[in-house]
Amino acid sequence: QSRTVTGTVTAREDGTTIPAVSVSVKGTTTGTQTGVDGKYTIKAADGDVLLFSFLGYDTQSVVVKDNVINVVLTLNSKQLGEVVVTGLGINKAKKTLGYAQTTVRSEEINRSAAINPLGGLQAKIAGVNISNVSGSSGGSTKVILRGYTSIGGTNQPLYIIDGVPLSNARSGSSDNFDFGNGANDIDPNLIDNISFLKGSAASAIYGSRGSNGVVIITTKKGKSGKPVIDFSTGTTLTDVAFVYKPQETFGQGWDAHFVLGENGNWGPKYDGQLRPWGAIVDNTQLLKPFSFIEGNVRNSFDTGIELNNNLTVSGGTDASTYLISYNNIFSNGILPGDADKYQRNNFSLRGTTTYKNFSADASLNYVAKNGNFVATGQGPTGVGTTFYENVLQIPGDIPIKDLRDYKNKYFNVDNYYTPYAENPYYNLNENGSKSKSDRVYGNVNLNYKFTPWFTLQLQQSADVNNSSARIWYNTNTPTPGSWVGGGNTEGQSRKPDVGSVEESNFQTYEYDTKLQGIFVKKFNSKFDINGLIGANYNDRGARTLSTSIEGLAIPGFYQLSNSVNKPTSAEAESHRRLVGFYAQGTLGYSDYLYLTLTGRNDITSTLATGNNSYFYPAANISYILSQALDIKNSAVSYIKLRGSYGETGSDTDPYNINNILTATNVGLGFGNLAFPFQGVPGFSISNTLLNPGLRPERVKEFELGGEFRFLNDRIGLDVTVYQRTRQDQILAVPIAPGTGYTSELVNFGSVRNRGIEIAFNASPVKTTGVSWDISYTFSKSRSIVTALPDGLDKVILNADGYGGQFVAIKGQPLGILQAPVPQYDPQGHIVVDGQGYPITAAENGTYGNFQHDFVMGLSNSVRVKNFLLGFTFEWDKGGKFYSGTADLLNFVGADPKTTYNDRNPFIVPNSVQKVTDGSGNVTYVENTTPITEANTDDYYYTTSNKAQAWSRTILDRSFIKLREVTLNYMLPKTVASKIGASKASIGIYGRNLLTWLPAGNHVVDPEVSNYGTDLASEYGEFRTAPPLRYYGASLKVTF
Amino acid sequence: ASFTFGCSKINDINVSPNNPSIDKATPQVLFPSAVLSTAGNVGGELDIIGGIWSQYWTQSPAANQFKTIDSYNLQRQDFNGTYNGLFSGALPDYQLAISKAKDAGQFPFYLMATVMKAYTYEILVDLYDQVPYTEAFQGAANLQPKFDDGFTIYKGLLAEIDAALATKYNVTLIANDAKADFLFGGNMDNWRKFANTLKLKMYLRMVNTHPQDAEAGVRALYAAQADFLDTDAGVNVFTDATDQRNPIYAYTVFNLGANDLRASKTFTSWLTANDDPRITNYFGTTAPTAIDQGYYNAPQSAQPGYYSATAPKLAATDPVYFLTTAESYFLQAEAAARYNVGATASSLFNAGVKAAFDQYGLTAPTGTAYTYPNGTLQANLRAIIYQKWASYPNSHTIEGFFDQERTGYPEHSPVYSLDATYVAGQWVYSKNGVTGGKFPKRLVYPDSERSRNANTPAEVPITTPVWWGLPNN
Repeated sequence: QSRTVTGTVTAREDGTTIPAVSVSVKGTTTGTQTGVDGKYTIKAADGDVLLFSFLGYDTQSVVVKDNVINVVLTLNSKQLGEVVVTGLGINKAKKTLGYAQTTVRSEEINRSAAINPLGGLQAKIAGVNISNVSGSSGGSTKVILRGYTSIGGTNQPLYIIDGVPLSNARSGSSDNFDFGNGANDIDPNLIDNISFLKGSAASAIYGSRGSNGVVIITTKKGKSGKPVIDFSTGTTLTDVAFVYKPQETFGQGWDAHFVLGENGNWGPKYDGQLRPWGAIVDNTQLLKPFSFIEGNVRNSFDTGIELNNNLTVSGGTDASTYLISYNNIFSNGILPGDADKYQRNNFSLRGTTTYKNFSADASLNYVAKNGNFVATGQGPTGVGTTFYENVLQIPGDIPIKDLRDYKNKYFNVDNYYTPYAENPYYNLNENGSKSKSDRVYGNVNLNYKFTPWFTLQLQQSADVNNSSARIWYNTNTPTPGSWVGGGNTEGQSRKPDVGSVEESNFQTYEYDTKLQGIFVKKFNSKFDINGLIGANYNDRGARTLSTSIEGLAIPGFYQLSNSVNKPTSAEAESHRRLVGFYAQGTLGYSDYLYLTLTGRNDITSTLATGNNSYFYPAANISYILSQALDIKNSAVSYIKLRGSYGETGSDTDPYNINNILTATNVGLGFGNLAFPFQGVPGFSISNTLLNPGLRPERVKEFELGGEFRFLNDRIGLDVTVYQRTRQDQILAVPIAPGTGYTSELVNFGSVRNRGIEIAFNASPVKTTGVSWDISYTFSKSRSIVTALPDGLDKVILNADGYGGQFVAIKGQPLGILQAPVPQYDPQGHIVVDGQGYPITAAENGTYGNFQHDFVMGLSNSVRVKNFLLGFTFEWDKGGKFYSGTADLLNFVGADPKTTYNDRNPFIVPNSVQKVTDGSGNVTYVENTTPITEANTDDYYYTTSNKAQAWSRTILDRSFIKLREVTLNYMLPKTVASKIGASKASIGIYGRNLLTWLPAGNHVVDPEVSNYGTDLASEYGEFRTAPPLRYYGASLKVTF
Repeated sequence: ASFTFGCSKINDINVSPNNPSIDKATPQVLFPSAVLSTAGNVGGELDIIGGIWSQYWTQSPAANQFKTIDSYNLQRQDFNGTYNGLFSGALPDYQLAISKAKDAGQFPFYLMATVMKAYTYEILVDLYDQVPYTEAFQGAANLQPKFDDGFTIYKGLLAEIDAALATKYNVTLIANDAKADFLFGGNMDNWRKFANTLKLKMYLRMVNTHPQDAEAGVRALYAAQADFLDTDAGVNVFTDATDQRNPIYAYTVFNLGANDLRASKTFTSWLTANDDPRITNYFGTTAPTAIDQGYYNAPQSAQPGYYSATAPKLAATDPVYFLTTAESYFLQAEAAARYNVGATASSLFNAGVKAAFDQYGLTAPTGTAYTYPNGTLQANLRAIIYQKWASYPNSHTIEGFFDQERTGYPEHSPVYSLDATYVAGQWVYSKNGVTGGKFPKRLVYPDSERSRNANTPAEVPITTPVWWGLPNN
């Protein structure tokens, strides 16, 4: 019986209708396509099989027996015909690529309502390391592709949005404040997909800016049809993911005695007896049991909240589409009060139009951000202190929660329990910072199709950001004679903090113009060519003006006029241009062999004429063996082999060529003399010798890989090995002061990064109602310093304030942690001094390097009818980092390591004393001098036992985390339609839910850092904020 | 290849808007900068080393900062801010100021920068014996400058001063330029006197090892009727504001909390024995509690007083002197004592003592220490150098160290200052000295030079005298 069959084709992932799906009757030439509304009509007979196929989706077949057949297509990322966005916004069939490229789609990005575009992708992509360096909403996300190779420059990837560069600046951020990075400004709800170009063959087309990989973000467009309204809302609660575990045996005190005013846990053992504590105020004192308070640290925080709401309206005609979107992020973090509040509003407009051979699209985005951030690390000496520094110093028996009442007469400035620290809640309420920014970015893209095989494209973008930051510290002056002002049992008075205000403005701008011709042609049944040729002009820069005062005249009034001292100001500007000419061609043979050649010539403004024009070549080959051998129907469903070589590089920062004068600042060792002085200006020849002969840094990278799929794509494996070498690195190296300079900017040496990346997929269960997908990623990379300038044995990458250093040493892994070590006798015993303390060796020793042995991720997703459950684990193994938190916890005796030998006197294990006789002969005798009970605290302090302090503060970097758990439920259409929706889903999720740290580290999450988001951050952290745990619920509705 | 827009090159924008290019330098901005770089070192790190090694001060047992200085245990990594700071800060700036001033015919700046360069260089030579001079400050053109011996450098500096004095330097500076002269406010007569006094000081440095050159140099000065400083050469511009404080105050008091430097028994015993009223100016009390030199690890039970020892009296607004009036007179007194030139040695000695006490508005006591002995040269020299030693704190204490190395005064004590036979004022070997009883005589080259310049001379012990040092001292 012949019928007219009608129906609608929708996508399983988001329930939207799919236009242009090809519908055919199997075994015939009869066929049609779905319209813009996803509907089709076709004539067929009962028993006929209808095939529904669409690029990127699994083909569905349905036997005809009704007049209405609605079909749901499932996205198949493994599809042979998958089209991905490659460099410069070009869409290409993935099979033609001779390098590794991973693409993730909107659904994956937004499954757990992360407010940052990459927040939901941790552990999901081999070779892409994503971490949150600070525990605040709005803080920076650190993204490193493959590994570190640049010693002095940047290791940050280039961010490209809809074909144009996006600034990732961290304006105003410092060791104390993290105001977030630019790539986090994008509304994740608006992203259609993100592609990661990890290797140089892929990124060579970006020339000087692609040397650390490229993150390509493509945003959503409107679809033709009646208006579609998408609404999503997520409510997320946040709390502390991990806090250190203090020792629970010894309470407040110092030198093994109970002392009322001490900030240490060096007192007697807890006995549970009621004891007075804190200041004596009006002849009264508080009373509490002398016992450890469970959860004390966690109780210093609250539960935070994060709201993520998005409303998008889109639609269009056959010729034109539009999309309007509004995203609102509101967050109030885990610290009490408004000290860590963050808001972001994104407005986006996007339109496309086509007229005959002409097409255009444009987007405009406005981002308004507004956040309060809490200082981490060490506050400015004599000016103010930070919350975290003070919280860590509170003995385990003092109830932190009570101290929140910081104006209470027992906890205020005068009567805080100790003169050695300040009430952290005073810091939280009286000090602070406010960051505001207004950013506009967008682009216009014009295309003209001259012939079916040639299109000319002109694209212009702009990204302009204007932001400001205000940082203030209130005065904190104890009254002389009060408890803190000297009236405590030890007679110590705390030095007052004078307070400060700093107001800074930051402007960044970037304009990018691109003109390119794209050609696609099939010559005959064997050969096809796909290429482009173009030119690119980029102009970007930044401007900063910062003014500050130190010493507030009126406490609590934060204005530049309110000071006993003159304000100081500083300004800085930078501006650079880059012109690039490029061409790329892919020659295909018989749909299974593809050769791509790329060349780009860059001309930069930051290098001198003669050195500022340079060429980057790249080539890659893709060979689809399964197609060539026609084994598609065997157990092996797909084999692709690929190989590539590419060169990229980077120029230098502006103004590194010509020697300059600097406003004089004479360093005294401690303190400075800064001009102007008594109204007299002073300039000095800069101590860094700049270099007109600088050449660009150059990255050369080989990559080999393969994709293998078995059992009808149920099992997939993608393996990549690569070697990246960065040569001619630009860095200021020390030179002999006799030259009149202390350092010179030079090209030198190289770092080699080798690695392997494996992605494994399997679908153990795949039925209409139930499916189970497993994906596993493994990556291992190792960066080795292969050359340094002659005579230079190491380059210092970062350092803590006490003597530990993060260094690059020739022939060794990049990023060695070096710090003081004990002196050893020839037999390997520790040499101690007359007091029994280890003697520090003349040279620093090596404690290891920061690099992980491997990083792996395991994700599972299980779909049962309309339910989808997903979870992701990450395991990072090996590596070391320095913890300034551990340093302070050892000083105050909170670290469990400080309970060694139950704090009874002990002799340093395996130690000897050095004896020199009259004729200068040295012998070593067994050490019998114990560390006394009263001196135990000195044993754990950095300066008094310098030889061993770093063995307790350089910690194991390993961790295992449950990164994400999500459960989504797609409401049945019948239910959704009751509220007028075409589809609706609800979900619950959690991120960073569980953290396991190794025995060597019960102090701090190794991912946090307040040393930025580049190589220096891998040294570790200095009393930074703990990371967050997120759990929430979301609702997504499409009308 | 160069890419052009219209008629301009793409890299035309690569001129820093943040810093002036080096060719925009003028003596007016270079000179004051370099002077404070000299002052920051002479009155900062060198004042600490000089203060400890001249035994005015010693390290407190309650802190750690200067133990390596007080035990003569300085290594390549320690306290080389002066070497790095003066070579990369003050000296190339003086050098550039000199060439700019010469080219522009600004002879006052030429003289001012030359004298300050010579003064600064002389200190480096006296600390390190040999330093780069003829090949210094050439940047990338010579990354490994050779080292010249101290005597060659001295002769070179003296010739540079003479060349500058031979120009038309004696013109009046316009008011704004005069402001750039922190020392004398543009008074060129004073600069000439400073130049002459500096020459005298340098010739007298040579008396042990180049006696003919020393005598000829001094006699030539007097033959030319050179006039010498009768005012203090130094900078008195410090205020108690951020980055504007006196260097040693900023370093040890403001930033390190005044926890380290304490009165040394060596100095306080001499001041007390001679009823010297300057004790209040130096220590803020007539009866300071002192620590025996270098005994920072004394058990508290044995030396309870050490923990409450008196700190030096330093203030944010103290001046830094390069060469005081008193020092000028004492130098002239020594010249008179040695060569019978100028006024009588005894009148110059008295003028020196008076100037030293005038500095604090005080009158000198009348004891033997303050009376010129009119005896043997050694007796006369001893009196002069003791008075110089007592006059250097708190700003250019390193000169006390140099004078001892040159003359042997104050004498090295055969016993420690806790011994009953100890003679007040004699220098004692640090309780924790690591040099086997030998006093330090120089600094070791910093790692920054040694590791990057193959021409750096082989390291010699810190106890080896520099080229002009008194042998067997």
